[in-house]
Amino acid sequence: MLRIDQLYKSYGQVVALDGCTFEVTPGRMLGFLGPNGAGKTTAMRSVFGLVTPDSGSVTWNGQRIDDDLRARFGYMPEQRGLYPKMKARDQLAYYGRIHGMSKSDAFDSATGWLEMLGLEERADDPVEQLSHGNQQRVQLSAALVHDPEVLVLDEPFSGLDPIGASTMSDVLRRETAKGKAVVFSSHQLDLVEDLCEDVAVVHQGRIVMSGVVKALKDASPIRRLELEMDGPADRILGHLDGVRSASVVDGRHVLLIDAATDVRRVLAEAESAGTVRHFIYTTPSLTDLFKEAVA
Amino acid sequence: MTSLKRIRLVAMREIRERGKSKAYIISTIFTLVILGGAIVVPGLLGGGPSNHHVGLIGDGGDEIVATAAELAVREADEGEESDTFETTRFDTLEDAEAALDGNDVDVVLVDTSEIVIAGFGGFGGPGGGGVTNLLQQAASTLRVQELVTENESAAEVISILSSEPLTTRDVGGSDEENAGLRGVIAFGGLVLMYFAVLTYGSWMLSGVTEEKTNRVVEILLSTLKPWEIFAGKLTGIGMLGLGQMLMLVTVALIGIRIQGSVEVPDLPIDSVVALIGWFVLGFLLYATLFGAAGSLVSRMEDAQNAAAPLSIIAVVGYIFSFVALNDPTTLWAQVGTYFPFTAPYVAPIRLALQEIAWWEMTIAVAVTIATLVVLIGLAGRVYAGGLLRFGSRVKWLDAFRSAE
Repeated sequence: MLRIDQLYKSYGQVVALDGCTFEVTPGRMLGFLGPNGAGKTTAMRSVFGLVTPDSGSVTWNGQRIDDDLRARFGYMPEQRGLYPKMKARDQLAYYGRIHGMSKSDAFDSATGWLEMLGLEERADDPVEQLSHGNQQRVQLSAALVHDPEVLVLDEPFSGLDPIGASTMSDVLRRETAKGKAVVFSSHQLDLVEDLCEDVAVVHQGRIVMSGVVKALKDASPIRRLELEMDGPADRILGHLDGVRSASVVDGRHVLLIDAATDVRRVLAEAESAGTVRHFIYTTPSLTDLFKEAVA
Repeated sequence: MTSLKRIRLVAMREIRERGKSKAYIISTIFTLVILGGAIVVPGLLGGGPSNHHVGLIGDGGDEIVATAAELAVREADEGEESDTFETTRFDTLEDAEAALDGNDVDVVLVDTSEIVIAGFGGFGGPGGGGVTNLLQQAASTLRVQELVTENESAAEVISILSSEPLTTRDVGGSDEENAGLRGVIAFGGLVLMYFAVLTYGSWMLSGVTEEKTNRVVEILLSTLKPWEIFAGKLTGIGMLGLGQMLMLVTVALIGIRIQGSVEVPDLPIDSVVALIGWFVLGFLLYATLFGAAGSLVSRMEDAQNAAAPLSIIAVVGYIFSFVALNDPTTLWAQVGTYFPFTAPYVAPIRLALQEIAWWEMTIAVAVTIATLVVLIGLAGRVYAGGLLRFGSRVKWLDAFRSAE
């Protein structure tokens, strides 16, 4: 288990990490969420010793992370980077080798990844000659070429087109299924909800919410009520007892209500303003939880 | 995996990728061609025998030309062909000058009293250097011959006039045969050192900045320590530089041998070894600083500016070193030997000219290595602090302080 424990880090007056604590379990994927500037990148960099925290520790199975352990981790930084003039295969093999692979293992693994991502014909082209999407694939391979036990990916989905995003999702699912501990940061909450069993939300350097997505939803003090109705309901919906907020999404009224509130009463009151054609009563979405957590 | 192995991997990548880059191959070939040309071409152009075309008016000219041809035979080195002469007789000065003007003849001899030339035509051109000198010498030989008694043969007079009657003895202390060669090595070594410091320093500069520009550095740093990357780059670029340098020296030696002016096997081995040793020290000293400068900027356009103070030190050090080249015994030359940024220039010069004591050399090496150790510590910290700070240029002190 990868454990980030009580990390503190400040740059002068700016506090980047304020007791940040969370865990990544092998065989599970953790979505690491937070607004811009919340400390996501600083926390991820501290796993790789790129940032030295003022206090706190990062451990893997109870052991402090040193160079040998780190060689078994894979990292995709937020700022993507490859040597533009180096051939894709040579480059991947190089990353494999600096992680301790033998020459032939590194070469085979690089070739394997390029084949898997459909780039076998471009293996000996300089990276700068590849399309943007293909460069992203090489970038992903660079984090995976040494078959790491832990994968830390900073915004892996940013800048990907739908095909690229689905390739990325497939690879992450497969790697997780192999028993790897995977953590990635993202602003695309729908995607995270779709992929991850666990989430951690960081805000102002502190974890404000973490756990299994489903359990978090069930335990949440709010519920989501979606209504499709005829009539001028807008005026009254936001003012009903137990309704925290009301908005209209795609012509549908979305109410966030207290879990303790009797939904039948809310529905009855809505009926008085118009005809309810369709309704959904469910646990809040990850986006709802996120907004609550960082409010 | 040990640090040594990681450093080797970084160095090997540097050698492989940079070594096969067009920039490296073209710059190597270009430098080799220029160097080879500079050594061999003048020999080919000026070295061979020439045929002088002399116009004659009046009497006595034939005799002078014949004597000049004899002198030319004596002056030519053994086994080499000598200059030859061809004459054309003119009736009037006008005709002769017209021929001179049209380059049909190189010079015109009027009786035994006057040589007419058409301006200075370059060292090998008409009327230039060789032919007028030979004719002047021949004329004076003939005049002296008229003064001496009948039983003195013409050949003997010519022999006296064309030889050096006084022998030369050099009491400068250096062994005479190598003195010239030592001067050449001192100067050539200085130029090579200067070339190496600036060229390979700028490779280090751009190599470091490049990894920041394309953001590879963050991936590297997730596995490698900053000093391992730095040491790997220094080693790789140093080896490529040394390789290029040895190629240059080899071509220079072959060129000199082809030209045949210097005996190559006589090369003083101590100078050559010292030059290579100092090349390594000088490269490390400057490239370390250039590398640190490279870590401060995120864009190639800013790299040269960040390194400007270092380039100035390198250039000033080079210019300063001519003091030692002119006179390796002056106080300034001694001061330069112990100052780490001039030592890699000055110490090999003084050694090549045999004007340095062993203890002076020891101190110079010790001072430079000590400085190098301190600089690697400082530069390594600046490098580590500057690497992950993208955007505008980082100040030296800020980078130093923010090192993790």
